[in-house]
Amino acid sequence: MKKIVTLIMLVLAVTAGFVYAGNSDNVHSIKLPNITTDLKPGEGKESVDIYCIMCHSLDYITMQPNFSRAQWTVTVNKMIKTFGAPINDKDAKIIINYLATQYGTGK
Amino acid sequence: MEGKFFSRRDFLKTAGAAAAMAAIGDIPADLFASDVRMAKFPEKTDMILRTSRPPQLETPLHYFKQFITPNDAVFVRWHIANIPTTVDLMQWRLNVGGNTGKELHLSMDDLKKFERVTYTAVIQCAGNGRSFFEPRVAGGQWGNGAMGNVTWTGARLKDILAMADVKVGSVDVSFNGLDTPPLPKVPDLVKSLPVEKAMEDDIIVAYEMNGKPLTMLNGFPARLIVPGWYATYWVKCLSDIMVLQKPFEGFWVKTAYRIPDNPCGCVPPGATPTKSIPINRMTTRSLIIDPADKTKIKADRPVDIMGIAFSGGYGIRDVTVSLDGGKTWGEARLGEDKGKYSWVQWFYKWKPTKPGKYMLMARATNSIGESQPFEGLWNPAGYLWNKIEKTEVVIK
Repeated sequence: MKKIVTLIMLVLAVTAGFVYAGNSDNVHSIKLPNITTDLKPGEGKESVDIYCIMCHSLDYITMQPNFSRAQWTVTVNKMIKTFGAPINDKDAKIIINYLATQYGTGK
Repeated sequence: MEGKFFSRRDFLKTAGAAAAMAAIGDIPADLFASDVRMAKFPEKTDMILRTSRPPQLETPLHYFKQFITPNDAVFVRWHIANIPTTVDLMQWRLNVGGNTGKELHLSMDDLKKFERVTYTAVIQCAGNGRSFFEPRVAGGQWGNGAMGNVTWTGARLKDILAMADVKVGSVDVSFNGLDTPPLPKVPDLVKSLPVEKAMEDDIIVAYEMNGKPLTMLNGFPARLIVPGWYATYWVKCLSDIMVLQKPFEGFWVKTAYRIPDNPCGCVPPGATPTKSIPINRMTTRSLIIDPADKTKIKADRPVDIMGIAFSGGYGIRDVTVSLDGGKTWGEARLGEDKGKYSWVQWFYKWKPTKPGKYMLMARATNSIGESQPFEGLWNPAGYLWNKIEKTEVVIK
Protein backbone atom coordinates (compact mmCIF):
# COMPACT_ATOMS: atom_id res chain seq x y z
CA MET A 1 0.00 0.00 0.00
CA LYS A 2 2.74 2.37 0.98
CA LYS A 3 4.51 1.56 -2.29
CA ILE A 4 1.40 2.29 -4.32
CA VAL A 5 0.87 5.62 -2.59
CA THR A 6 4.50 6.51 -3.21
CA LEU A 7 4.13 5.53 -6.86
CA ILE A 8 0.98 7.60 -7.28
CA MET A 9 2.66 10.57 -5.62
CA LEU A 10 5.64 10.17 -7.92
CA VAL A 11 3.40 10.07 -11.00
CA LEU A 12 1.53 13.15 -9.77
CA ALA A 13 4.78 14.97 -9.08
CA VAL A 14 6.17 14.18 -12.53
CA THR A 15 2.90 15.18 -14.21
CA ALA A 16 2.73 18.42 -12.20
CA GLY A 17 6.33 19.14 -13.08
CA PHE A 18 5.63 18.55 -16.75
CA VAL A 19 2.57 20.79 -16.74
CA TYR A 20 4.46 23.45 -14.83
CA ALA A 21 7.34 23.39 -17.29
CA GLY A 22 4.82 23.69 -20.12
CA ASN A 23 3.24 26.74 -18.52
CA SER A 24 6.38 28.57 -17.54
CA ASP A 25 7.04 29.65 -21.12
CA ASN A 26 3.66 31.33 -21.05
CA VAL A 27 4.16 33.16 -17.78
CA HIS A 28 5.66 36.62 -17.89
CA SER A 29 6.61 38.04 -14.50
CA ILE A 30 8.44 41.04 -13.16
CA LYS A 31 9.33 42.16 -9.65
CA LEU A 32 8.92 45.87 -9.04
CA PRO A 33 11.71 47.64 -7.15
CA ASN A 34 10.91 48.95 -3.71
CA ILE A 35 11.62 52.66 -3.94
CA THR A 36 10.81 55.00 -1.09
CA THR A 37 10.61 58.77 -0.88
CA ASP A 38 11.20 60.64 2.37
CA LEU A 39 9.13 63.76 2.85
CA LYS A 40 10.47 66.82 4.62
CA PRO A 41 9.96 66.78 8.38
CA GLY A 42 7.16 69.00 9.60
CA GLU A 43 3.86 69.15 11.45
CA GLY A 44 1.38 66.78 9.88
CA LYS A 45 3.93 64.57 8.08
CA GLU A 46 2.60 61.46 9.85
CA SER A 47 -0.88 61.96 8.38
CA VAL A 48 0.53 62.44 4.90
CA ASP A 49 2.67 59.32 5.29
CA ILE A 50 -0.32 57.24 6.37
CA TYR A 51 -3.03 58.40 3.99
CA CYS A 52 -1.30 59.31 0.74
CA ILE A 53 0.59 56.05 0.35
CA MET A 54 -2.68 54.11 0.40
CA CYS A 55 -2.93 54.90 -3.30
CA HIS A 56 0.40 56.26 -4.49
CA SER A 57 4.06 56.73 -3.66
CA LEU A 58 5.11 59.98 -2.02
CA ASP A 59 7.09 61.12 -5.06
CA TYR A 60 3.65 62.11 -6.39
CA ILE A 61 3.99 64.95 -3.87
CA THR A 62 7.66 65.82 -4.25
CA MET A 63 7.28 65.88 -8.05
CA GLN A 64 4.79 68.76 -7.98
CA PRO A 65 5.82 72.39 -8.30
CA ASN A 66 5.38 74.59 -5.24
CA PHE A 67 1.66 75.22 -5.15
CA SER A 68 -0.30 77.80 -3.20
CA ARG A 69 -2.43 76.70 -0.28
CA ALA A 70 -5.50 77.05 -2.52
CA GLN A 71 -3.99 74.72 -5.14
CA TRP A 72 -3.00 72.09 -2.58
CA THR A 73 -6.54 72.31 -1.18
CA VAL A 74 -7.94 71.56 -4.63
CA THR A 75 -5.60 68.59 -5.02
CA VAL A 76 -6.35 67.08 -1.60
CA ASN A 77 -10.08 67.54 -2.11
CA LYS A 78 -9.78 65.79 -5.46
CA MET A 79 -8.14 62.83 -3.75
CA ILE A 80 -11.03 62.66 -1.29
CA LYS A 81 -14.03 63.45 -3.50
CA THR A 82 -12.96 62.00 -6.85
CA PHE A 83 -10.71 59.15 -5.79
CA GLY A 84 -12.43 58.26 -2.53
CA ALA A 85 -9.49 58.66 -0.16
CA PRO A 86 -10.89 57.93 3.36
CA ILE A 87 -9.66 61.16 4.94
CA ASN A 88 -11.88 63.05 7.38
CA ASP A 89 -12.10 66.86 7.51
CA LYS A 90 -9.70 67.15 10.44
CA ASP A 91 -6.99 65.09 8.76
CA ALA A 92 -7.59 66.82 5.44
CA LYS A 93 -6.82 70.15 7.12
CA ILE A 94 -3.64 68.73 8.66
CA ILE A 95 -2.52 67.31 5.29
CA ILE A 96 -3.26 70.51 3.38
CA ASN A 97 -1.40 72.54 5.98
CA TYR A 98 1.63 70.25 5.76
CA LEU A 99 1.72 70.33 1.95
CA ALA A 100 1.21 74.10 1.76
CA THR A 101 3.95 74.66 4.33
CA GLN A 102 6.56 72.14 3.18
CA TYR A 103 5.83 71.92 -0.56
CA GLY A 104 4.06 75.18 -1.20
CA THR A 105 4.61 78.82 -1.93
CA GLY A 106 3.69 79.65 1.66
CA LYS A 107 0.74 81.69 0.39
CA MET B 1 17.95 45.60 -8.36
CA GLU B 2 15.91 46.44 -5.26
CA GLY B 3 15.40 50.13 -4.70
CA LYS B 4 18.09 51.19 -7.06
CA PHE B 5 17.93 54.83 -7.89
CA PHE B 6 20.46 57.56 -8.04
CA SER B 7 20.91 61.11 -9.13
CA ARG B 8 22.17 61.82 -12.58
CA ARG B 9 25.38 63.11 -11.03
CA ASP B 10 26.01 59.69 -9.51
CA PHE B 11 25.10 58.05 -12.76
CA LEU B 12 27.71 60.07 -14.59
CA LYS B 13 30.35 59.27 -12.00
CA THR B 14 29.86 55.61 -12.72
CA ALA B 15 29.48 55.99 -16.44
CA GLY B 16 32.42 58.27 -16.87
CA ALA B 17 30.43 60.03 -19.55
CA ALA B 18 31.14 63.51 -18.21
CA ALA B 19 34.86 63.07 -18.59
CA ALA B 20 34.44 61.74 -22.10
CA MET B 21 32.18 64.61 -23.10
CA ALA B 22 34.41 67.22 -21.53
CA ALA B 23 37.32 65.78 -23.49
CA ILE B 24 35.61 66.43 -26.81
CA GLY B 25 34.39 69.82 -25.68
CA ASP B 26 30.62 69.32 -25.71
CA ILE B 27 29.13 69.51 -22.24
CA PRO B 28 25.35 69.53 -21.95
CA ALA B 29 24.76 71.42 -18.71
CA ASP B 30 21.60 69.57 -17.78
CA LEU B 31 23.65 66.46 -17.25
CA PHE B 32 24.93 68.07 -14.10
CA ALA B 33 21.55 68.77 -12.56
CA SER B 34 21.48 66.65 -9.42
CA ASP B 35 17.76 66.85 -8.69
CA VAL B 36 16.85 64.22 -11.29
CA ARG B 37 16.32 60.78 -9.83
CA MET B 38 17.08 57.81 -12.04
CA ALA B 39 15.67 54.33 -11.50
CA LYS B 40 16.04 50.86 -12.94
CA PHE B 41 12.82 48.92 -13.36
CA PRO B 42 12.43 45.38 -14.78
CA GLU B 43 12.96 45.18 -18.57
CA LYS B 44 13.84 48.91 -18.54
CA THR B 45 17.09 50.80 -18.76
CA ASP B 46 17.95 53.59 -16.31
CA MET B 47 15.03 55.98 -16.64
CA ILE B 48 14.11 59.31 -15.12
CA LEU B 49 11.97 58.48 -12.10
CA ARG B 50 8.87 60.65 -11.91
CA THR B 51 6.92 58.34 -9.61
CA SER B 52 7.45 54.80 -8.36
CA ARG B 53 3.95 53.54 -7.42
CA PRO B 54 2.42 53.33 -9.87
CA PRO B 55 5.52 53.76 -12.02
CA GLN B 56 5.97 56.80 -14.23
CA LEU B 57 9.34 56.63 -15.96
CA GLU B 58 10.62 59.17 -18.47
CA THR B 59 13.02 58.53 -21.33
CA PRO B 60 16.31 60.48 -21.19
CA LEU B 61 16.35 62.66 -24.32
CA HIS B 62 19.59 61.27 -25.73
CA TYR B 63 17.73 58.07 -26.67
CA PHE B 64 15.90 60.11 -29.31
CA LYS B 65 19.10 60.26 -31.33
CA GLN B 66 17.95 56.80 -32.37
CA PHE B 67 15.20 56.67 -34.99
CA ILE B 68 13.46 53.82 -33.17
CA THR B 69 13.24 53.99 -29.39
CA PRO B 70 14.56 50.76 -27.84
CA ASN B 71 11.98 48.80 -25.84
CA ASP B 72 13.89 49.21 -22.61
CA ALA B 73 13.90 53.01 -23.03
CA VAL B 74 10.22 53.56 -23.91
CA PHE B 75 8.52 55.71 -21.25
CA VAL B 76 6.19 54.17 -18.69
CA ARG B 77 2.99 55.68 -17.36
CA TRP B 78 0.42 53.91 -15.17
CA HIS B 79 -2.57 55.54 -13.49
CA ILE B 80 -3.75 53.30 -10.67
CA ALA B 81 -1.51 51.48 -8.22
CA ASN B 82 -2.38 47.81 -8.71
CA ILE B 83 -0.55 47.11 -11.93
CA PRO B 84 -0.11 43.61 -13.34
CA THR B 85 3.30 42.07 -12.66
CA THR B 86 2.50 38.52 -13.78
CA VAL B 87 0.55 37.41 -16.83
CA ASP B 88 0.02 33.75 -17.69
CA LEU B 89 -0.84 33.45 -21.38
CA MET B 90 -2.65 30.18 -20.64
CA GLN B 91 -5.06 32.21 -18.50
CA TRP B 92 -5.09 35.57 -20.28
CA ARG B 93 -7.91 36.20 -22.75
CA LEU B 94 -9.00 39.23 -24.69
CA ASN B 95 -12.74 39.33 -24.04
CA VAL B 96 -14.98 41.10 -26.53
CA GLY B 97 -18.67 41.59 -25.88
CA GLY B 98 -21.51 43.99 -25.23
CA ASN B 99 -23.64 44.96 -28.22
CA THR B 100 -22.22 42.21 -30.42
CA GLY B 101 -23.59 39.13 -32.16
CA LYS B 102 -21.28 36.92 -30.11
CA GLU B 103 -18.78 37.07 -27.28
CA LEU B 104 -15.11 36.42 -27.96
CA HIS B 105 -12.50 35.13 -25.55
CA LEU B 106 -9.36 35.32 -27.64
CA SER B 107 -6.11 33.69 -26.55
CA MET B 108 -2.78 35.05 -27.73
CA ASP B 109 -2.71 32.29 -30.37
CA ASP B 110 -6.18 33.40 -31.54
CA LEU B 111 -5.01 37.01 -31.71
CA LYS B 112 -2.03 36.02 -33.83
CA LYS B 113 -4.32 34.32 -36.36
CA PHE B 114 -5.69 37.68 -37.49
CA GLU B 115 -3.83 39.41 -40.31
CA ARG B 116 -0.54 40.72 -38.94
CA VAL B 117 -0.19 44.49 -39.26
CA THR B 118 3.05 46.39 -38.65
CA TYR B 119 3.80 50.11 -38.66
CA THR B 120 5.88 52.66 -36.81
CA ALA B 121 4.03 55.16 -34.64
CA VAL B 122 4.93 57.77 -32.05
CA ILE B 123 3.64 56.95 -28.60
CA GLN B 124 3.24 60.09 -26.54
CA CYS B 125 1.68 60.81 -23.16
CA ALA B 126 -1.03 63.49 -23.24
CA GLY B 127 0.89 65.32 -20.53
CA ASN B 128 4.30 65.23 -22.21
CA GLY B 129 5.92 68.62 -21.54
CA ARG B 130 3.55 69.45 -18.68
CA SER B 131 6.39 70.79 -16.51
CA PHE B 132 6.88 73.63 -19.03
CA PHE B 133 3.39 75.07 -18.48
CA GLU B 134 3.32 78.54 -16.99
CA PRO B 135 1.55 78.92 -14.64
CA ARG B 136 2.41 75.39 -13.55
CA VAL B 137 -0.35 72.80 -13.37
CA ALA B 138 -0.85 69.70 -11.23
CA GLY B 139 -0.15 66.26 -12.66
CA GLY B 140 2.79 64.20 -13.80
CA GLN B 141 5.63 66.68 -14.20
CA TRP B 142 7.04 65.36 -17.47
CA GLY B 143 9.80 67.00 -19.41
CA ASN B 144 9.84 66.07 -23.10
CA GLY B 145 10.69 62.40 -22.55
CA ALA B 146 7.18 60.93 -22.26
CA MET B 147 7.30 59.87 -25.88
CA GLY B 148 9.01 57.42 -28.20
CA ASN B 149 8.95 56.05 -31.73
CA VAL B 150 8.14 52.35 -31.85
CA THR B 151 7.35 49.76 -34.52
CA TRP B 152 4.15 48.03 -33.43
CA THR B 153 2.75 44.71 -34.65
CA GLY B 154 -0.70 43.35 -33.96
CA ALA B 155 -4.20 42.57 -35.15
CA ARG B 156 -6.58 45.17 -36.53
CA LEU B 157 -9.21 46.17 -33.98
CA LYS B 158 -11.79 46.30 -36.76
CA ASP B 159 -11.06 42.67 -37.71
CA ILE B 160 -11.58 41.63 -34.09
CA LEU B 161 -14.80 43.68 -33.89
CA ALA B 162 -15.98 42.18 -37.18
CA MET B 163 -15.49 38.67 -35.78
CA ALA B 164 -17.56 39.66 -32.74
CA ASP B 165 -20.19 41.10 -35.11
CA VAL B 166 -20.88 44.63 -33.89
CA LYS B 167 -24.63 45.26 -33.92
CA VAL B 168 -26.32 48.35 -35.30
CA GLY B 169 -26.99 51.06 -32.74
CA SER B 170 -23.52 50.84 -31.23
CA VAL B 171 -22.11 54.19 -30.09
CA ASP B 172 -18.85 53.70 -28.19
CA VAL B 173 -16.33 50.94 -27.63
CA SER B 174 -14.63 50.73 -24.23
CA PHE B 175 -11.26 49.23 -23.38
CA ASN B 176 -10.13 47.88 -20.00
CA GLY B 177 -6.81 46.43 -18.94
CA LEU B 178 -5.56 44.24 -16.09
CA ASP B 179 -4.68 47.11 -13.74
CA THR B 180 -7.05 47.59 -10.81
CA PRO B 181 -7.74 50.40 -8.32
CA PRO B 182 -6.01 50.41 -4.93
CA LEU B 183 -9.23 51.49 -3.17
CA PRO B 184 -12.81 50.67 -4.17
CA LYS B 185 -13.77 54.25 -5.03
CA VAL B 186 -10.77 54.92 -7.26
CA PRO B 187 -12.15 54.77 -10.82
CA ASP B 188 -10.73 51.85 -12.83
CA LEU B 189 -8.78 52.97 -15.90
CA VAL B 190 -11.23 52.30 -18.72
CA LYS B 191 -11.05 54.28 -21.96
CA SER B 192 -13.40 54.50 -24.91
CA LEU B 193 -13.49 55.46 -28.57
CA PRO B 194 -16.51 56.36 -30.70
CA VAL B 195 -17.45 53.23 -32.67
CA GLU B 196 -16.65 54.85 -36.02
CA LYS B 197 -13.14 55.69 -34.75
CA ALA B 198 -12.70 52.15 -33.40
CA MET B 199 -13.49 50.76 -36.88
CA GLU B 200 -10.68 52.71 -38.59
CA ASP B 201 -8.12 50.61 -40.46
CA ASP B 202 -5.02 51.62 -38.52
CA ILE B 203 -6.03 50.89 -34.93
CA ILE B 204 -4.48 47.62 -33.77
CA VAL B 205 -4.23 45.43 -30.71
CA ALA B 206 -0.44 45.15 -30.58
CA TYR B 207 1.39 42.14 -29.19
CA GLU B 208 4.85 43.17 -30.34
CA MET B 209 6.95 46.30 -29.99
CA ASN B 210 10.03 46.48 -32.19
CA GLY B 211 9.62 42.80 -33.07
CA LYS B 212 9.57 41.57 -29.46
CA PRO B 213 6.76 40.87 -27.00
CA LEU B 214 5.71 44.00 -25.12
CA THR B 215 7.58 44.65 -21.89
CA MET B 216 5.34 44.17 -18.87
CA LEU B 217 5.47 47.86 -17.98
CA ASN B 218 4.53 48.81 -21.56
CA GLY B 219 1.48 46.55 -21.53
CA PHE B 220 2.30 42.85 -21.93
CA PRO B 221 0.71 40.85 -23.46
CA ALA B 222 -1.24 43.26 -25.67
CA ARG B 223 -2.20 46.91 -25.81
CA LEU B 224 -4.37 49.08 -27.97
CA ILE B 225 -2.56 51.30 -30.48
CA VAL B 226 -4.45 54.36 -31.69
CA PRO B 227 -1.80 55.90 -33.95
CA GLY B 228 -1.88 59.68 -34.19
CA TRP B 229 -3.79 59.97 -30.92
CA TYR B 230 -2.34 60.46 -27.45
CA ALA B 231 -1.36 57.31 -25.59
CA THR B 232 -4.08 57.72 -22.97
CA TYR B 233 -6.19 55.60 -25.35
CA TRP B 234 -3.49 52.96 -25.83
CA VAL B 235 -4.80 50.77 -22.99
CA LYS B 236 -2.11 48.43 -21.66
CA CYS B 237 -2.49 44.76 -20.63
CA LEU B 238 -5.74 44.89 -22.56
CA SER B 239 -8.32 42.36 -21.35
CA ASP B 240 -11.83 43.60 -22.12
CA ILE B 241 -13.42 45.32 -25.08
CA MET B 242 -17.08 46.28 -24.71
CA VAL B 243 -19.29 47.57 -27.51
CA LEU B 244 -21.77 50.03 -26.03
CA GLN B 245 -25.21 51.23 -27.12
CA LYS B 246 -24.91 54.33 -24.94
CA PRO B 247 -22.12 56.90 -24.68
CA PHE B 248 -19.35 55.72 -22.32
CA GLU B 249 -19.60 57.53 -18.97
CA GLY B 250 -16.39 56.43 -17.23
CA PHE B 251 -14.30 58.90 -15.25
CA TRP B 252 -11.18 58.70 -17.45
CA VAL B 253 -13.11 59.92 -20.51
CA LYS B 254 -16.01 61.92 -19.08
CA THR B 255 -14.04 63.84 -16.45
CA ALA B 256 -10.32 63.31 -17.00
CA TYR B 257 -8.23 63.71 -20.15
CA ARG B 258 -10.31 66.58 -21.50
CA ILE B 259 -9.24 69.62 -23.44
CA PRO B 260 -10.98 72.96 -24.08
CA ASP B 261 -13.45 72.61 -26.96
CA ASN B 262 -11.89 75.13 -29.35
CA PRO B 263 -9.40 74.97 -32.24
CA CYS B 264 -6.30 75.53 -30.08
CA GLY B 265 -7.42 73.40 -27.14
CA CYS B 266 -6.35 76.29 -24.98
CA VAL B 267 -7.63 79.01 -22.65
CA PRO B 268 -5.94 82.10 -21.22
CA PRO B 269 -3.48 81.00 -18.49
CA GLY B 270 -5.38 80.27 -15.29
CA ALA B 271 -8.82 80.32 -16.93
CA THR B 272 -11.40 77.53 -16.77
CA PRO B 273 -12.75 76.25 -20.12
CA THR B 274 -16.49 76.73 -20.60
CA LYS B 275 -16.79 73.55 -22.68
CA SER B 276 -14.48 70.56 -23.01
CA ILE B 277 -14.07 67.45 -25.17
CA PRO B 278 -12.04 64.24 -24.76
CA ILE B 279 -8.41 64.72 -25.83
CA ASN B 280 -7.72 63.08 -29.18
CA ARG B 281 -5.18 63.73 -31.97
CA MET B 282 -1.65 64.82 -31.15
CA THR B 283 -0.43 68.29 -31.95
CA THR B 284 2.52 68.83 -34.30
CA ARG B 285 5.89 68.88 -32.54
CA SER B 286 9.59 69.10 -33.15
CA LEU B 287 12.49 68.89 -30.77
CA ILE B 288 16.19 69.56 -31.04
CA ILE B 289 17.95 66.49 -29.66
CA ASP B 290 21.57 67.23 -30.52
CA PRO B 291 23.17 69.44 -29.32
CA ALA B 292 21.45 69.25 -25.95
CA ASP B 293 20.37 72.44 -24.19
CA LYS B 294 23.20 74.49 -22.61
CA THR B 295 25.91 72.62 -24.48
CA LYS B 296 29.27 74.38 -24.87
CA ILE B 297 30.86 73.93 -28.28
CA LYS B 298 34.22 75.05 -29.62
CA ALA B 299 34.08 77.57 -32.46
CA ASP B 300 35.03 76.69 -36.05
CA ARG B 301 33.87 73.10 -35.68
CA PRO B 302 30.96 71.91 -37.82
CA VAL B 303 27.88 71.14 -35.76
CA ASP B 304 25.36 68.63 -37.05
CA ILE B 305 22.12 69.75 -35.47
CA MET B 306 19.72 66.84 -35.24
CA GLY B 307 16.18 66.51 -34.05
CA ILE B 308 12.84 64.80 -34.46
CA ALA B 309 9.41 65.94 -35.65
CA PHE B 310 5.98 64.35 -35.78
CA SER B 311 2.29 65.12 -35.93
CA GLY B 312 -1.01 63.50 -35.10
CA GLY B 313 -1.16 61.19 -38.13
CA TYR B 314 -0.36 63.63 -40.94
CA GLY B 315 3.38 63.16 -41.27
CA ILE B 316 5.78 66.11 -41.49
CA ARG B 317 6.00 68.40 -44.51
CA ASP B 318 8.94 70.47 -43.39
CA VAL B 319 11.09 71.51 -40.46
CA THR B 320 12.75 74.90 -40.32
CA VAL B 321 15.61 75.77 -38.01
CA SER B 322 16.67 79.12 -36.56
CA LEU B 323 20.12 79.79 -35.13
CA ASP B 324 19.33 83.32 -33.98
CA GLY B 325 16.32 82.98 -31.70
CA GLY B 326 13.74 83.03 -34.48
CA LYS B 327 14.87 85.98 -36.63
CA THR B 328 15.91 83.90 -39.63
CA TRP B 329 14.99 80.35 -40.58
CA GLY B 330 16.48 77.68 -42.86
CA GLU B 331 15.02 74.40 -44.00
CA ALA B 332 16.30 71.20 -42.40
CA ARG B 333 16.92 67.99 -44.34
CA LEU B 334 14.40 65.30 -43.44
CA GLY B 335 15.54 61.70 -42.90
CA GLU B 336 13.84 58.43 -43.77
CA ASP B 337 10.05 58.49 -44.09
CA LYS B 338 8.57 55.65 -42.05
CA GLY B 339 4.98 56.67 -42.62
CA LYS B 340 2.56 59.28 -41.34
CA TYR B 341 2.48 58.04 -37.73
CA SER B 342 6.26 57.80 -37.26
CA TRP B 343 8.51 60.67 -36.37
CA VAL B 344 11.08 61.87 -38.86
CA GLN B 345 14.61 62.73 -37.98
CA TRP B 346 15.85 66.04 -39.33
CA PHE B 347 19.35 67.39 -39.83
CA TYR B 348 20.82 70.87 -40.16
CA LYS B 349 24.46 71.71 -40.73
CA TRP B 350 25.98 74.67 -38.91
CA LYS B 351 29.52 75.98 -38.66
CA PRO B 352 29.57 78.56 -35.90
CA THR B 353 32.52 80.95 -36.13
CA LYS B 354 31.81 83.67 -33.59
CA PRO B 355 31.87 82.85 -29.86
CA GLY B 356 28.76 83.71 -27.92
CA LYS B 357 25.34 82.47 -26.90
CA TYR B 358 23.08 81.10 -29.64
CA MET B 359 19.39 80.33 -29.39
CA LEU B 360 18.50 77.38 -31.62
CA MET B 361 14.87 76.73 -32.51
CA ALA B 362 13.04 74.21 -34.69
CA ARG B 363 9.54 74.42 -36.09
CA ALA B 364 7.69 71.57 -37.82
CA THR B 365 4.67 71.73 -40.12
CA ASN B 366 2.60 68.69 -41.03
CA SER B 367 1.02 67.78 -44.38
CA ILE B 368 -2.21 69.65 -43.60
CA GLY B 369 -0.42 72.82 -42.49
CA GLU B 370 -0.59 72.36 -38.72
CA SER B 371 2.47 73.81 -37.03
CA GLN B 372 3.78 74.95 -33.66
CA PRO B 373 3.19 78.13 -31.64
CA PHE B 374 5.96 80.49 -30.50
CA GLU B 375 4.35 80.80 -27.09
CA GLY B 376 3.05 77.87 -25.05
CA LEU B 377 -0.70 77.37 -25.31
CA TRP B 378 -2.23 76.82 -21.87
CA ASN B 379 -4.96 74.51 -20.61
CA PRO B 380 -5.71 73.49 -16.99
CA ALA B 381 -4.64 69.84 -17.28
CA GLY B 382 -1.36 70.49 -19.09
CA TYR B 383 -2.03 68.68 -22.37
CA LEU B 384 -1.14 69.22 -26.08
CA TRP B 385 2.23 70.86 -25.34
CA ASN B 386 3.92 71.77 -28.63
CA LYS B 387 5.58 75.14 -28.17
CA ILE B 388 8.63 75.80 -30.34
CA GLU B 389 11.39 74.77 -27.95
CA LYS B 390 14.56 76.78 -27.51
CA THR B 391 17.97 75.19 -27.16
CA GLU B 392 20.72 77.43 -25.88
CA VAL B 393 24.23 76.71 -27.12
CA VAL B 394 27.41 78.50 -26.10
CA ILE B 395 30.17 78.77 -28.68
CA LYS B 396 33.56 79.31 -27.08
